[in-house]
Amino acid sequence: MTHLDASSSDVSFQPKPSLPPPPNTVGAIGWVRKNLFSSPLNAFLTFVSLYVIWVVVSNTFEWAIVNAVWEANSRRECLDKVGLSGACWAGVSHWMKNFIYGRYPDEEIWRVNLGFGILILWMLPFWLPRVTSKITIGASAILIAPFLLGHLFAGGEKGLFLQVMISVAITSFIFSWLHTLLCIATGKPLWTTIVTASGFAAKPDATHKYPVLAVFLAVFIGAFIYQSGWEITAQSTNLWGGLFVTLVISGIGIAVSLPAGIILALGRRSKMPVIRVVCVAFIELFRSVPLITVLFMAVTMVPLFLPAEINPVKIVQAIIAVCIFSSAYMAETVRGGLQAISKGQYEAAQALGLSYWKMMSLIVMPQALKMMIPNIVGSFIGLLKDTTLVSIVGLYDLLLMLKAVSQNPQWNGIHTEPLVFGAALYFVLCFIMSKYSQHLERTLGAGAAGR
Amino acid sequence: MSIDAQVESKPTGKSTKGDDVVIELGSVNKWYGEFHVLKDINLSVYQGEKIVICGPSGSGKSTLIRCINRLEEHQGGDIIVNGVTLDNNLKNIDAIRSDVGMVFQSFNLFPHLTVLENCTLAPIWVKQTPKAQADELAMEYLHRVKIPEQAAKYPGQLSGGQQQRVAIARSLCMNPQIMLFDEPTSALDPEMISEVLDVMVELADSGMTMLVVTHEMGFAKRVADRVIFMDFGEIVEQNTPEEFFTNPRSDRTKLFLSQILAH
Repeated sequence: MTHLDASSSDVSFQPKPSLPPPPNTVGAIGWVRKNLFSSPLNAFLTFVSLYVIWVVVSNTFEWAIVNAVWEANSRRECLDKVGLSGACWAGVSHWMKNFIYGRYPDEEIWRVNLGFGILILWMLPFWLPRVTSKITIGASAILIAPFLLGHLFAGGEKGLFLQVMISVAITSFIFSWLHTLLCIATGKPLWTTIVTASGFAAKPDATHKYPVLAVFLAVFIGAFIYQSGWEITAQSTNLWGGLFVTLVISGIGIAVSLPAGIILALGRRSKMPVIRVVCVAFIELFRSVPLITVLFMAVTMVPLFLPAEINPVKIVQAIIAVCIFSSAYMAETVRGGLQAISKGQYEAAQALGLSYWKMMSLIVMPQALKMMIPNIVGSFIGLLKDTTLVSIVGLYDLLLMLKAVSQNPQWNGIHTEPLVFGAALYFVLCFIMSKYSQHLERTLGAGAAGR
Repeated sequence: MSIDAQVESKPTGKSTKGDDVVIELGSVNKWYGEFHVLKDINLSVYQGEKIVICGPSGSGKSTLIRCINRLEEHQGGDIIVNGVTLDNNLKNIDAIRSDVGMVFQSFNLFPHLTVLENCTLAPIWVKQTPKAQADELAMEYLHRVKIPEQAAKYPGQLSGGQQQRVAIARSLCMNPQIMLFDEPTSALDPEMISEVLDVMVELADSGMTMLVVTHEMGFAKRVADRVIFMDFGEIVEQNTPEEFFTNPRSDRTKLFLSQILAH
């Protein structure tokens, strides 16, 4: 063994220095050689592809930009100017308001804008640095905001419950932003600030909630008095339309399907037979039926079974159908993620004494959801596009609005331009979601590097 | 045999075995479907005792210690840990799990949490320890397993030996009275085995009750109060390490020892 003994060795090991790679294999030239001209056939295909790209791009450019008509009052005017060789974007800009808000009255459109503005502001702290309790803020936006937004959009009479929920929503919104601003400015959360300011800091921890509750109650009462003075006219959901309806339906679908999908997936893996059977039945039933069928069932058949005095709103029925359908799909996506978590993770969590829900929420779900991000966002994108199907049951979503233009006497027959616009709009929305999911994957994935 | 040499070169720990029985197994039986994995196991473990369990793969040794904290359910007989009988009562299971720590062959650290968070998770969420206190406790145990400097890293950035030491620290943070080790060094590169065994030897010297499934015979000779040899779901032989290695009684044990000590 002595000849292997490190201390008595007389040859010291020195690793060889790394050398640069040969030229022509790196940089732009290397890339072109490797990817475009690696063989005569590939070089030929490169030129053919370049030609095809040129033809498509130049013709599109000519149609959409060079020959396009931007201002006109009817399709006739467009045709007189350029015929079919140029796009008639006037048809799109003329109808833009309808594409976005449907037939919502012009003087009330501020309500839709305000609603979406509030929602965006509400979610904004989620992306700001130094802000704590992001989960609570996000959850409040998903759970409480719909009451306020729903009332803003629909208007009309408020029952006591709705008044309370609207006040809670206003209070939560104010609290979220106070908290966010405090976090950014002082680095201390709202809770601590209130406790310190009220002089409760020295008292036992259990009493700390009282000043916070008091402030919440005070703001709540203020909000309640403020909102009771609101009088906003009722706007029938029949008037809702366009991108507005598309975002409402898919937004609610997204917000509901993820938590519902998680619960269904856990239920499907449950050891309790009744829960498991119910979840499996729900998932399999709605996954094996097309969305159109579910929509028709919800809109045309369900009212037949309801008492005559209940007059369900079509958009609500459609939203419920979309939620049920997407939850069933999401459940399967989540189940796929759950199955990727090794048994050892469950065992380690159990051995440490974590209960089922703590194990799931602290150990299993964070890992599973991270792995599922591409699939989840894929489902969301699918959902956004699937909402076009609600046009079949007579809801004026974006697609139906786009198609409706061509039936207007003045714009008779204008199909291409609105649809191109719609395609571009959908592309932008889906592309943003897709890019954001990749960003999430990268930032969240950084934690478990080299896993 | 280099590992042997390293472990044996350190001072031999004194036995900390007491008189109180902390784990009592009475004719425990278990089946996986038709397969009878544990056959009438009777075993008493005393406070502070270190038991090494060895045997060929499939002999039921891992299943035996996994029954003690209910990762596997036994179908016959009694398991009593610290006076609590293990049955379907979730409270009893929780009580036993908070007294019994476990270290796995494949570490099973939580990859989405840092080393420190791995250690503080259970104290914070199971024992409701305040975070600052849990952090302090975790750092103390990370010092004991000699990797305090890795506290902010993620498990994926550590070597196998380091991960296993974190896993040991994570279990210790719950202040268990009993530690179960399920082949803690079997997934490690040879160079890392000794760093984990060193930590386990120190733990043994501190008086912890330990049940260790392992094939590290050097560790068994140095630390164990009792060595148990299992095959076909039965305890074939149990004895002090001196007797077990120098004077095995069963021919099955002799064959096993001759095979694992051959190289």
